Amino acid sequence: MKSGFGLDLARPSRRHWLGYLLLAPAVLLIGLIIIYPLIVSVDISFQNVNIARLDQPRRPFTTANYERLFSSPDFWNASWITLKLVVIVSLFCFLLGLGTALLVNNKFKGQAFARLLVALPWAVPEVIAVVIFAWMFDSSFGLMNWVFIKLGFIDTTVNWFSSPVAAFAVVCVTMIWKGYPFVSIMMLAGLQSIPDDFYNAARVDGANAWQRLVNITIPSLMPVLGVTLILVMLWVFRDFSIIYVMTGGGPLKATQTLSIMTYEQAFGFFKMGYASAIGVVTLIVCVIASRLMIGRAPDNI
Amino acid sequence: MLRRKLTILAATAALALSTNAALAQNKVLKFVSWQKDERGVGDWWASVIKAFEEAHPGTKVEWTKVERGAYADTMTTLFAGGNPPDIVHLASFEFQKFADNGWLEPLDPYIKDAKLDLTGWAGQDTCVWNKQTVCTMMLYFGYFLAYNEDMLKKEGLSVPKSYAEFLEAAKKTTKDLNGDSIVDQFGTGHETRGGGGQYISEMMNYTLDAGGRWTDENGKVTINTPQMIEGLTRWKTIVKNNLTPRDMSAGEVRQLFADGKIALKMDGPWLWPIIQKGKAKDQIKTAMVPFSPPVGGSSNVLAIPSDISSDNKKLVWDFIKIATSDKFQSSYATLGASPPPSPRADISAAKAENPNFDLLVEATRAAAKAKVDRIPKGLEIQFNEFSKMVMEEAQRMIIQDLDPKAVAATMQQKAEAIQQQ
Repeated sequence: MKSGFGLDLARPSRRHWLGYLLLAPAVLLIGLIIIYPLIVSVDISFQNVNIARLDQPRRPFTTANYERLFSSPDFWNASWITLKLVVIVSLFCFLLGLGTALLVNNKFKGQAFARLLVALPWAVPEVIAVVIFAWMFDSSFGLMNWVFIKLGFIDTTVNWFSSPVAAFAVVCVTMIWKGYPFVSIMMLAGLQSIPDDFYNAARVDGANAWQRLVNITIPSLMPVLGVTLILVMLWVFRDFSIIYVMTGGGPLKATQTLSIMTYEQAFGFFKMGYASAIGVVTLIVCVIASRLMIGRAPDNI
Repeated sequence: MLRRKLTILAATAALALSTNAALAQNKVLKFVSWQKDERGVGDWWASVIKAFEEAHPGTKVEWTKVERGAYADTMTTLFAGGNPPDIVHLASFEFQKFADNGWLEPLDPYIKDAKLDLTGWAGQDTCVWNKQTVCTMMLYFGYFLAYNEDMLKKEGLSVPKSYAEFLEAAKKTTKDLNGDSIVDQFGTGHETRGGGGQYISEMMNYTLDAGGRWTDENGKVTINTPQMIEGLTRWKTIVKNNLTPRDMSAGEVRQLFADGKIALKMDGPWLWPIIQKGKAKDQIKTAMVPFSPPVGGSSNVLAIPSDISSDNKKLVWDFIKIATSDKFQSSYATLGASPPPSPRADISAAKAENPNFDLLVEATRAAAKAKVDRIPKGLEIQFNEFSKMVMEEAQRMIIQDLDPKAVAATMQQKAEAIQQQ
């Protein structure tokens, strides 16, 4: 085959060129919408810029943003909150996701409806989910205060969004509710790929339900589980809308993650150089965490 | 051959001329605002646009709504990308950042050429940045008191005239009506969740009455004063004792009041249309706030971006001239249900339509006379950071039950640090 430029892509030594040519538009697009802003962001993080404009001359190179960042208690607080949120939400998403997947993997009457119910929160837009939970946990007219008082757990209303501990808990609950169906769907797909022969053989050997779960189900799910866990952790790490709409990072920065801090510095205080520095550090942490988990995944399979 | 060439040349020239004419005929000015679709004031903007388009045939105003919550980000992105809207509408606490970056056109030459008299124009001083006028003020407001007459009567209370009376009324009207241990009716209502700007406006009801100000006339931070400590103590008393519903946005609190769940509410002119649509419409009456001076301040401004063509700048100035004309300032009073900033506006129609209007004017004048503004002098650029800091420290005072004196000292220190950045 001769191309318009007289290039013979059929020649064995040039066959891979066709692949590159076909990939080129996608690579260019990714370069334009991901790599370029990333480079600009890194560049801005090394400048003392309040509101950045690309048509203005570059400011002198400085590491002041990073120096300020690493000496800021707010940054370490946001890092700690992010870590807590990632660990708690990922863990509960995993437990709930696996539990519900095991449940709806069984054959019973209404199985299809149960599967629909399990997956439903995944289909609800984040902002809608936040509005529902914000109403449920409303300090004055919310459902949860009423339920807890009726059940006798509390004798006076809890100001859910005025208490740092309670606000963090509400954010966790909302994120778990929103995130676990994804784990459940992935686990269900994984469960259906495990051959029945494994379980039949284990039953013949006298393995009980717990032994079958630990020795067959979990190890067989590990490839899916590894990828799912990385995706869930990255989602929690970068999620912005749930926290922003629900608490705005408050009270007393109790729910201020690195994403919220980046947004606040960029568009609240118009400190884009500093905000870019937070964004770059967040990106590096995400890349390292993902690499570590992907690197470890084959050992677990 | 020559004839043919000339014919082609003439045709080309005609085509070029007609294209230019078509371009001029189809000029579009971009206008971004959060007030589109707002009942009253949105209608007023629509009337200004209509008048502008009638006066400039072929020029259209492309009006786009951006929610208030996303407004600062959107406008920053538009300006930073070198693609600002032609007609710039900003809140009075955010235009300073844009002016400081040189993104707003100085309006003094336009004002001089047009002989626009801005003497006595409420809040116009706020639009002067680095000794240049960079905007025109579109609203300056004062808070009034709206109260639920039935709730006060049930408790044998009269309309409060001082903080002590207000506190007594708020305490007596905060109630659990059905005995389920959940308060169903509140004495007053404040936003205690959301942005710092609104939060400090709510606090200012109490700090101003106690004689406190965030900064003095020279921009020096004055939070660590006995007056401010008293103001913070009052705020703590109201919020800590749950005399206001907690963790609610300003919109939610206004709706609760309009629906008869709150007894007393201090707010700006925008509360009136909400009351009219509420369930407790007939029980709600208005009066001057029991505090002196009332909270007040500048609200939103119109400006011209420095980055657009000079032709477009002239057109935008024409738009501003229409919006600031006596005719449209008068219609602002009726449609917007707010006192317009122009001292020449005819507000007789608004007075006839809205029995509350004299009170709004009185509240606005009282706030303006006391030079009250939400944006403290000397902290204009850092207002968002400052208001967030004040909100967090006030929340800490309530959550951790801290002494207002210690909190005032912390606020003072942090405000000074923010100012020196």
